[in-house]
Amino acid sequence: MSKPERTLEFKEPVSGAEFDRNFRSEVTAHPDARELNVCFSCGTCSAGCPIHEVFPEYNPKKLAKMVGLGMKKQVLSSPYIWYCTTCHNCEQRCPQNVKFFNVLNVLKNMAAKEGYAPPAWIEQTKQVMKTGLVFPTEEGWVKKREELMLPSLKLKGKAVKKIIELAGIAEIKPRTEPE
Amino acid sequence: MNKYALFLGCTTPTQVLQYELASRWVCKYFGIELVDIEDFVCCGINQVNLSIEAGFLMAAMNLAYAESKELDVLTLCAACTGALAEAIERLKDEATRDKVNEKLQDVGLGYKGKVKVRHISRVLYEDVGIERIKKEVKKDLSNLRVAPHYGCHYLKPKSALGGFDEPDNPKSLHQLISATGAHPIEYETLNLCCGGKVFPISKDLVHSLVQKKLDNLMSKEVDAIVLQCQTCYLMYSDRQKEINEEYDKQYNLPVILYPQLLGLALGANGIKDLGFNLHTISTDKILTKITLS
Repeated sequence: MSKPERTLEFKEPVSGAEFDRNFRSEVTAHPDARELNVCFSCGTCSAGCPIHEVFPEYNPKKLAKMVGLGMKKQVLSSPYIWYCTTCHNCEQRCPQNVKFFNVLNVLKNMAAKEGYAPPAWIEQTKQVMKTGLVFPTEEGWVKKREELMLPSLKLKGKAVKKIIELAGIAEIKPRTEPE
Repeated sequence: MNKYALFLGCTTPTQVLQYELASRWVCKYFGIELVDIEDFVCCGINQVNLSIEAGFLMAAMNLAYAESKELDVLTLCAACTGALAEAIERLKDEATRDKVNEKLQDVGLGYKGKVKVRHISRVLYEDVGIERIKKEVKKDLSNLRVAPHYGCHYLKPKSALGGFDEPDNPKSLHQLISATGAHPIEYETLNLCCGGKVFPISKDLVHSLVQKKLDNLMSKEVDAIVLQCQTCYLMYSDRQKEINEEYDKQYNLPVILYPQLLGLALGANGIKDLGFNLHTISTDKILTKITLS
């Protein structure tokens, strides 16, 4: 997917009947997301977010609010949770010490289990299990390293494959990409 | 300590060989011994997207490999630095370490918590030092004006990487650049993220971020962007070319890695030692400018 999707603009009012009241505690049960409990929606995270600046629909404050309300399905199926560039500005500047970068990782992990992970990250993980690196062995760079007299790289994914299996993500299936 | 395990990461040794080449040259010049550890794997930073545990375990594996050789780690990539430093922070807790070691045991590894990780620029800044660099300069770079770009994970999260510079008002790369004789310029989008970590998900978001910085720099008198991470490098150079082709733009701003700038100042051969010929955006303008100076 190249163009960011615009999906979280609610045209119709959302109904509280569909909310999952346990969602917030499910998320904040993870030590990385615990501080989300003390978020008071000041919006410092969004104000310093580079993605929000170029794509205003991506809005960390709004996502945090949606978690608080229990909008589990909308959050986990949203492509937006995958748009973080991991710059850490939100975490750096949050007056309540919420590590929103980590909160997003918790959300992404939950979404991945429910089958919403983008194919790009699944493919990369498969690649790591083969070579230990996120890139395949391509003749191009192998040859270029030789020409520049740089040491050759040992590409073995055996140990890392085992680790990824132990963490339970070797079998995760990607979501179907929208056309 | 003057001996480090060199952590190349995934992208530098496969796509940005000039960074590796120049880094090895600069370290050799200052007597910093780099040990290649062939068992090193990806730092795990992208795996946290699918599983925080998987990414964390991958970082811990790498720390265990370095520890088994009794070495601290020297990184080239800002993101690897961040991932490994965060893992080190988390692994200071004994209960966490025990849990991680239960899993590492299955691949014949264990981690006791002794490893430190530092990025090459930080080693140059803290160990070699600005004064020593200034003394070693052989080539006059004073007619070069360059835009520093730090890379988000070089200084953030502060809890794991803090202590030597301020993420919101960084100065260390400016000083490293000044030490070579070149002039670091001040500009508004200094701290703007390159977008590299969202590139596999959305090319368009990256293009928007990259253009913001390039547009800002077009209004300045600047010869190059100087950065210290190969992912930032690929965003500002290869994406710059892509943007030119896709949106009919005419950006033509060279992008170089800090060890290349330092290498030039120290008298290294631009091609053989520093790989200036490997850049996506031609750096001939810079090299000519220096030769003429």
